[in-house]
Amino acid sequence: MSDALPPLGLYVHLPFCLRKCPYCDFNSYPTPPTSAQQGRYIQALLADLDADLQAYPHIRTRPLHSLFIGGGTPSLFAPAALGQLLDGVGARLHCPLGLEISLEANPGTLNLKALRAYHALGINRLSLGIQSFHAPHLRALGRLHDAHAARQAICDAHIAGFSRINLDLMFGLPQQNPQQALADLNTALSYAPSHLSWYQLTLEEDTPFAHHPPAHLPDEESLWAIQHAGLARLAEAGYQHYEISAHAPPGMECQHNLNYWQFGDYLGIGAGAHGKISSRSAAGTLVIERRSKQREPQGYIEQALNGASLLASAYQLSASDTVFECMLNALRLQEGIPLSLFTQHTGLTASCLQSPWQHAITQGLMQNHPKQLAPTALGQRFLNDLQTLFLPT
Amino acid sequence: MSERQPFIRNFSIIAHIDHGKSTLADRFIQVCGGLAEREMSEQVLDSMDIERERGITIKAQSVSLTYRARDGQDYYLNFIDTPGHVDFSYEVSRSLAACDGALLVVDASQGVEAQSVANCYTAIDQGLEVVPVLNKIDLPAAEPERVMQEIEDVIGIDAHDALPVSAKTGIGVPDLLEVLVRRIPPPTGDANAPLQALIIDSWFDNYLGVVALVRVMHGSLRRKQKITAMSTGRSHLVDRVGVFTPKPADREVLETGDVGFVIATIKDITGAKVGDTLTSTDHPALTPLPGFKEVQPRVFAGIFPISSDDYNDLREALDKLKLNDASLHYEPETSQALGFGFRCGFLGMLHMEIVQERLEREYNLELISTAPTVVYEVLTTKGEVIYIHNPAQLPPVNEVAEVREPIINANVLLPQDYVGNVITLCVEKRGVQTRMQYLGKQVSLGYDLPLSEVVLDFFDRLKSVSRGYASFDYTLDRFQAAPLVKVDVLINGERVDALSIITHRDQAQSRGRELTERMSDLIPRQMFEVAIQAAIGSKIIARSSVKAMRKNVTAKCYGGDISRKRKLLEKQKAGKKRMKQIGRVEVPQEAFLAVLQVDQQNK
Repeated sequence: MSDALPPLGLYVHLPFCLRKCPYCDFNSYPTPPTSAQQGRYIQALLADLDADLQAYPHIRTRPLHSLFIGGGTPSLFAPAALGQLLDGVGARLHCPLGLEISLEANPGTLNLKALRAYHALGINRLSLGIQSFHAPHLRALGRLHDAHAARQAICDAHIAGFSRINLDLMFGLPQQNPQQALADLNTALSYAPSHLSWYQLTLEEDTPFAHHPPAHLPDEESLWAIQHAGLARLAEAGYQHYEISAHAPPGMECQHNLNYWQFGDYLGIGAGAHGKISSRSAAGTLVIERRSKQREPQGYIEQALNGASLLASAYQLSASDTVFECMLNALRLQEGIPLSLFTQHTGLTASCLQSPWQHAITQGLMQNHPKQLAPTALGQRFLNDLQTLFLPT
Repeated sequence: MSERQPFIRNFSIIAHIDHGKSTLADRFIQVCGGLAEREMSEQVLDSMDIERERGITIKAQSVSLTYRARDGQDYYLNFIDTPGHVDFSYEVSRSLAACDGALLVVDASQGVEAQSVANCYTAIDQGLEVVPVLNKIDLPAAEPERVMQEIEDVIGIDAHDALPVSAKTGIGVPDLLEVLVRRIPPPTGDANAPLQALIIDSWFDNYLGVVALVRVMHGSLRRKQKITAMSTGRSHLVDRVGVFTPKPADREVLETGDVGFVIATIKDITGAKVGDTLTSTDHPALTPLPGFKEVQPRVFAGIFPISSDDYNDLREALDKLKLNDASLHYEPETSQALGFGFRCGFLGMLHMEIVQERLEREYNLELISTAPTVVYEVLTTKGEVIYIHNPAQLPPVNEVAEVREPIINANVLLPQDYVGNVITLCVEKRGVQTRMQYLGKQVSLGYDLPLSEVVLDFFDRLKSVSRGYASFDYTLDRFQAAPLVKVDVLINGERVDALSIITHRDQAQSRGRELTERMSDLIPRQMFEVAIQAAIGSKIIARSSVKAMRKNVTAKCYGGDISRKRKLLEKQKAGKKRMKQIGRVEVPQEAFLAVLQVDQQNK
C-alpha cells in the first residue's frame, strides 16, 4: 500500500446572503457584510487556517488539489477582499500552477466589472446559482434575480474570460411541467457551460419549504418523466452524468467536488465549515480526523480575532464510520471508485466492506466487479437504499 | 374450630365488565379502612398496568378486610376478585372455589349480561350463596324494578330483595356489608384435621420467589411449618404467611377458612400449581382436594422476533410470563418466512393481545405475530387423526380425508330490539340457531358457531351491531367436518408460510381477494413491483400488486458535511428495521395480521 495521503482540497465558507431562500438549509445568514466586515471575516478565515495548520503541520508540505469558495453568496465579497484571501492562502499553502479555484456566485449580485476582477485574481471556475430561467419559478424559489439577470450573468462571465462555468439548475419546481423543465435545461445548454449541476428540488428539514411545502409540486410520475428526458438530453449534448446531479463534458468535472466523492482530504475554513484530514501515525497507520467550525459568523469572527479556538467538533473516524463515509461519497459517482482507491483513502482492507458489498451486489445495487466499487443503474436510482447498507450497525 | 372461623366470610363479586365491580371493591376497602383516602386514588385491585389501562381484571387476587358490623362483632371478609372477560372465564371457577358466597352485581340500567349469567351458574353449581345487588342506582336511567325481574327471569334466583347501591357515591354500601355478613355462610372445615390448602393462584415475584394464594380448607398453615405440595410430593419450608389488606401483611398463621398468601422455598411456579393442595409434611392429609381442570388454549398464533438475534430474549420473556400465566402455552416453531419463533396458545384474542403487548412493553421486544387460528382436527387418507395448530401444517389436499373445525355453543343475551342484527351476524358467521327464548325484555339466543369465526372479531362486531347491549358466553362443544381449504399467500411468487389461513371454501375467494388488497395497502412501495397472490394449492384465486417506486435518492450534495445525510439515512434504516425481509421484499409487521384487518374493514 502506498504511503501517499489523499489529495487535499480547501473549502472556504462565506455564509452571507442578501436573503435566505426558502429551500436552503446551508449555514447562511441574510446579513450582507459591509466592506469592513468583509475584511474582518477574511482575517478570521486566515486565523482559522493558521489554527488548522498548527493542528496538522504536515499540510504545509502537501500540494493543494483544489480551492472552492462557497456559501452563502460569496459574490457578495468584493474582489479586493477575495484577493486578500487568496494572497493569504498562497502564503500559507503550496498552490501549484493551474490550481482549480472555484467561486460560487448568484446572478443578482454580479456585474461585468466584478467578474473581470474575480478572474484577474486567478479564480478560474465560476459556479452560477441560476436555478431556473422561468420567472414564476424563480419567484417561487424566492430567488432575487429574474430570467434576464440569469442570462446576463452567464454572458458576462464568458466575456470576463471564464472558460469553466457551472450552472446550478433545479427541477421539480412548484407547478413546473416536464416541458418547462426541459426548456430550462435547453436554455442552459445553449450557453455551452463546462459543467451543469441539475438536481431535483428537495424539501430539506428545518427550512420554510419543509414547514410550509409549496403547493402543486410535480408528482412522482412527472418528476420521473422530467429526469428521464433531461438525462437523455444531457447525454445527447455530450455531457457525462458522472455524479448524481453533476454533468460535464469529459475532463471538465469539478475537481474539488470529485475529491469529496473520492474520499479525498479537505480543509474547511469559515463559519460552520467542515474539514476532513488524514495523517499517518508514528506506526504508519492512516488516521482520519473530522473537524467543524463554529457556525455563527459574528461569534466566529470575534473568537478568531481573539485567538480563541473555532472548533465546534473534532473527532477521529472509527473504521466502521470510515467505511460508511467513503461509500456514502463514492457511490454518488456513476463509475464509483477503484477498490485500490478505497484501501488507499481509508487505510482499510477490502474485507471491511465484505458483507454489505456482497449484499448490494445480490440486490443488484452494485456492480459485480472485483476491483471497482460502483453502483448499478438501479443502485443510482435507489442510492439511499444502497448507502444505507453501509451504515455502521 | 378457631374463634375467628364463624366470622369469616369468603366471597367473590360476579359482574359484567363496567358494571362496577372494581369500584365496589374499592368502596369496601375504604369502609373497612384497608387503605387511607390518599391511597385510593386509583382502583387498587387491578394492579397490572395493562389491567388498569384496559379496565379489566386478568388475574385472581384477594383482599382481606375487617368489618365491624352494627352488632359490634368484627367480621373477617376475604374478597376474591374474578376476571370479567369471556377469555378468562376459566379463572372464575378457580376464584369461586375459594368462596362460600358471591355478590351478583348488575348494572341497574343495563340489566343482566351473558357473562354474568354463566358465572352465576358456575357459582350456583359450586353451592355458593348468591346475593343479587343492583349497582349504579344513582343514574337517572336506572330501572331497578325491571332489572330485578330480569334477574329472576334470566338467572332464576330470587331477586326481590336485591339491594340497590351506588358504588360510585357509596349509597347502600354499608347496608350491603350487613347483608353480606348475614347471608353468606361462614366457611365449613375442620380446624383439627390435617392441613389442606387449595392453591387458587400463584405467581412469581422477583424479590419473593413463588407466592401462592391459598384458601385453607382444613387445618392451619403456620410460618416455619414444613409443607408438601401434594401433586409433586416436594416439601418446602414456609417462610412467610399473610393476607392482602390489600397491601401484603404478615401473619403467624392462616387458619381454617382463611384466604391468604404463602411464601415457601419454592423455586418455580410448577412447584405451586394452581389447583394443587398444600398439606403438612409431618401430618399429611390422605387425599388432595379436588383441583381444577387444566385449561386448554383455544387460539394459536406464531410469535417471531423481527431480529433473529432476539430469539433467546423472546424465549426468556415467554418463560417469565409463563411463571405467572399457566394458561399461556408455547413451543418452538420454525417458519421459512419468519425464521425461529414460537407457536403460542392463548385463551382468546384478548389474552393474545395482552401477552403480545407485555412482551413488547415489558421485555422491549420487536415482534411479528401471525394471524390467530384455532385448532383443527384433520383425518388423513391414511386414517390418522392429527391436530393442526398452524395453517401451514395442513397436509396437501390429496392426503386429507376430512378437516374438522371446533364448534362452540354460544349463548347471546340481548335486548329485543337487536335480535335481527345479531341473527344476521350469526348467520354471516356460519352459525346454526339452537335456541331462542324471550325473557322479559331480553332475548336469549343459542347458536352453534365455528370457533374460528368467533375468535377474530365476533365480540367487537356483536357489540357494534347491538350498540354495546348484547353479551356473549360460550363453551367448546365438538369438532365438526366442514369444507375447509387452506389459502396461501405468495409474495413475488414466494409462498409465505406465515400468511396462510384456513377458511371455508365458500369464503375462500372473497377472503383471498380482501387479503391481497389489504396486503398491497400495507406493504410499502419498493425498488421493484411486488406481486401479491392468494392461492389454493397451485390455483391462484386473487392477486394485487404494489407498484415499484421510481427512485430513492437525495439529489443534493452536502459537500464536506456528511452528518445530515447520515441522519437521513439512519432514519430510513430505523423504519426498515421494523420490517421483515421476505425474499427481496420488505414486509411490515402489520401485514402479517392483515387477515384481522380484513375483518375490521367489513364492519
